Amino acid sequence: MTHTSEELAAMIVSVSMTVNGNATTLDVDPRCSLADTLRDSLGLTGTHLGCEHGVCGACTVLVGGEPARSCLMLTAQADGCEIVTIEGLSDGDTRSPIQEAMYQAMSFQCAFCSPGFIMSTVALLAENPNPTEREIREELSGNLCRCTGYQSIVAGVETAVEILSSQNILSSQNKERSGQ
Amino acid sequence: MTFEATNAQTSGLGFTGQSVKRVEDDRFLVGEGRFVADINPEGVLHAAFVRSPYPHARVTRIDVSTARRMPGVVRVFTGSEINELTNRVPPLASIKGVYSPLYTIMSDDVVRHVGDPVAVVIAESRPLAEDAVEQVVVDYDPLEPVPDVDRAVEPSAAQIWPKADGNVLADTTDTFGDINDAFTKAEVVVTERFDSHRLTNQPMETKGILAEVDPATRHLTLHSTTQAPNVLRWIAAGITVNQGPGRSLRQFAVNKKRRKAFVGAAREFLKDQREELRKQDPAAMKTQRKAENAMGTLMRMGLGLLAADDFPTVKTADIGGGFGCKGAVTREELTVVAVAKTMGRSVQWIEDRVENLTNGGQAREERFTLSLALDRDGTFHGLRCDAVIDHGAYPGFPFGAAITSLMWKVYMPGPYDFKAFHLETRIVATNKGTVVPYRGPWAHETWVRERLIDIAAEKIGMTPGDLRRKNMIGDDKLPMSMITGPDLDATMSAKKTLERALELIDMDQLDRDKADAKQRGHRIGLGLATYHEAAPGPPNFGDSLQPGNAMLLFEDGRATVEEDGRIVMYTAQSPHGQSHQTTYAQVVADEFGVAMDDVDIVWGDTDRTPFSVIGTGGSRGAPMGAGVMRSTAREVRRQVVSVAADMLEANPDDIEISDGTIHVAGVPARGVSYADVAAKAKSEKGITSGPVFEHVDRYTGTGNGGWSVATHVAVVDIDLETGFVTIPRYLVVEDCGRIINPAIVDGQVRGGVAQGIGAVFYEKMNYDESANLASTTYMDYLIPTAMEIPAIEVDHMETITGGDGDSRGTGEGGMIGAPPALGNAVSDALGVQVTELYLPPHRILELAGVLG
Repeated sequence: MTHTSEELAAMIVSVSMTVNGNATTLDVDPRCSLADTLRDSLGLTGTHLGCEHGVCGACTVLVGGEPARSCLMLTAQADGCEIVTIEGLSDGDTRSPIQEAMYQAMSFQCAFCSPGFIMSTVALLAENPNPTEREIREELSGNLCRCTGYQSIVAGVETAVEILSSQNILSSQNKERSGQ
Repeated sequence: MTFEATNAQTSGLGFTGQSVKRVEDDRFLVGEGRFVADINPEGVLHAAFVRSPYPHARVTRIDVSTARRMPGVVRVFTGSEINELTNRVPPLASIKGVYSPLYTIMSDDVVRHVGDPVAVVIAESRPLAEDAVEQVVVDYDPLEPVPDVDRAVEPSAAQIWPKADGNVLADTTDTFGDINDAFTKAEVVVTERFDSHRLTNQPMETKGILAEVDPATRHLTLHSTTQAPNVLRWIAAGITVNQGPGRSLRQFAVNKKRRKAFVGAAREFLKDQREELRKQDPAAMKTQRKAENAMGTLMRMGLGLLAADDFPTVKTADIGGGFGCKGAVTREELTVVAVAKTMGRSVQWIEDRVENLTNGGQAREERFTLSLALDRDGTFHGLRCDAVIDHGAYPGFPFGAAITSLMWKVYMPGPYDFKAFHLETRIVATNKGTVVPYRGPWAHETWVRERLIDIAAEKIGMTPGDLRRKNMIGDDKLPMSMITGPDLDATMSAKKTLERALELIDMDQLDRDKADAKQRGHRIGLGLATYHEAAPGPPNFGDSLQPGNAMLLFEDGRATVEEDGRIVMYTAQSPHGQSHQTTYAQVVADEFGVAMDDVDIVWGDTDRTPFSVIGTGGSRGAPMGAGVMRSTAREVRRQVVSVAADMLEANPDDIEISDGTIHVAGVPARGVSYADVAAKAKSEKGITSGPVFEHVDRYTGTGNGGWSVATHVAVVDIDLETGFVTIPRYLVVEDCGRIINPAIVDGQVRGGVAQGIGAVFYEKMNYDESANLASTTYMDYLIPTAMEIPAIEVDHMETITGGDGDSRGTGEGGMIGAPPALGNAVSDALGVQVTELYLPPHRILELAGVLG
């Protein structure tokens, strides 16, 4: 089916959301995915697209503090939402505790999957600050990594637990969640 | 791309051998990696392909008129329009006895697999391009599909390539030693047939290319996910030569600069490679003469390249894994190059996951009948193998199925002392996706050999460990040569890894665990597997594959010191997850006595980095890549020390470098910096621009070894109710020589094992009996998750014969050792001999006798 440019313009929707603490209003094609908007319109290319059908988890971001597949979510659905991406975790070049833990554990290789794993970890530790190895593996089973065999990523989460529990747990969690 | 090493660790202690944190992670972990899909120049156009839904069909009509009128569509090219702009893809290397069909970069008359591209839409965005793809009308006249090798070799089967011998593209026989004598003499012959299924590499980042056109000069820069930038560069240039040989020849004749450059380069090449060229087998070229107009195509491309003044630049950004498939150049990538060149506009194509699963590279669908001749006391005599490779339709470029059979020819006897070996291989075309190298492309020689050794052990009443120990080549026999040619020295320490692995297993405990498991309705079993791989192997390894091959196996590198004292290193590697930036900075910082963040590693830019046919692949990053970093750095350090010695009025032999200060031994307070020395040398030498110190080197390895070895031990626990297999213990004892960064080596080993676990229990490309593909999503092709992959123990041994440069490759081994270790463990657990690679739960239950 072809559309005239007038018809296409009529289909544009306006979306307001907060991304990494910044309020944004955008006109988007209603079929546009949140991942495409983050990457193409906002230049936040830290969120990666691995499969575009909701399995690999590379595109995971936080929507209202909960992990979401940004490849399956339409931008229009994010209207009014608070979004945090990988770029929202660190303070400039200073790594957040979870990013620092992944650094110390040398968690990744090609690291294409890393934004998804890190965002899933943020969500996991916010909900369960002291997970068992089994719980870590179960929670991370929504993210695929083809390089590492996962052991170093699990170690990274365990290191994050140590770092976070040696800090003020509550305040650091809040910081992660709000992306400040 | 260039990145500074920013690791803040202090120098002086030596970085090599330590698990130094990754330099790459400074950008990756904060979302600042730069992958090809992240590069979006203003005004870039996007490509989407129209693909065949049929495995085999004739294209009778293609109508793009509606698509051309769709919003945002800039142009639509049919297959034949693209093919008019381009040459056919020739085989890069001729392999004796292998017919490699020339093929067009898009299919305009016949489609040969599901997903075969027949047209391409160029639009302002990817969604608009995909909308228009839906509006391209293609009429197909279905042909009989050839779904598998059994059907392919029947006389009544449709023939996929008209000039081939039926569907058999190669039928080769190689014999080493007196094979008949070995089998006549032996007291026992054990024969088994083994079948493996089709896999796909599946890096988390798909392939992609951005062909960027400079609007002023029309120079092409190809931003790519390639593992081999120079291969892409030259095939991209050759494929788009759009003039006849006569015209090219005339242009070449009048272009003095080109002529001079060519004659100089040719003279140098001939000087370096005279001996290797002489070894080339003319019979290999003869096989290719069958290919329709192969010589004509090569002439057209070759002369076109001679006449051309401008070649594309290839740049690699960060690359999200490859495992071999990104070493291949695909038809889609070449289409994008041709389109960008023709339109004079920048064009991007990022393969989506469905495309990647459909035709982003497949591997490993093979069949073997293997016979082992031995005595009742376990002494091996001979090994005989008949193998068939399901090639798919199109040959992989530059390396496809044929390279696998060449490697089997050399590797299959493994680390054992066989007196004779005989291999027959047929490579058979089917209507399936393209076979490309996948992590240890030859791996199944280890799978079938190690599986058959366990079967033989049962037959003669020995333990698998004892039978291996009896026949494995150890220090008492080294140095020697494999029956298939390559020299072995002490680096072929497979037997040491086997002995060590056997020490680390508590067999009594295993027996108790087996008994406990039975009580629970489970079965536990243990499997061993040992292999050796040339990483990079001895000097005669390449020629053992095919004479003259050694000329591909060098590695060039360049070391410089800039005027501000920074050390800048140029590598021909194209890393895609292997952490070269970290390991090379470790090695180089140690050579120069500086901190890692004083070193820049430059890779992936054909305007600046050295030439290599292979790029990153074949477990060469540590031995060859780091090897040439070290050798060039050492020479530049010598140059620096020589100037510094003059400045310090000392003998160069008395100079030391610590923490970046160059000083007389014992007097660090009176030292000079690299910047000081560079400034002095710059004024002395009268250098106005460019590096002050520089050395370019070619590295070919260290001595007669270069073997990387391991023994894998898998323990499986099988639930007889569900057929689900868990892995309570997985141990790898490996020896890759001097380890540069233990954590990185562990990661390579574990990642390889994880892919092996996926291959055995989860992953399968499902083509049906009509060659339709049923696994085009991750709901169908199951990549194992953190729930399926266990903790993997890695035990290191470090046999060193080649001095401080003796680091050997370790990237492929995990994937080589895991399938046989797991197959042997399942066989041990169930008490049946498993002969297929794929063991999903329902198959486990069948093997266990639970399902009929």
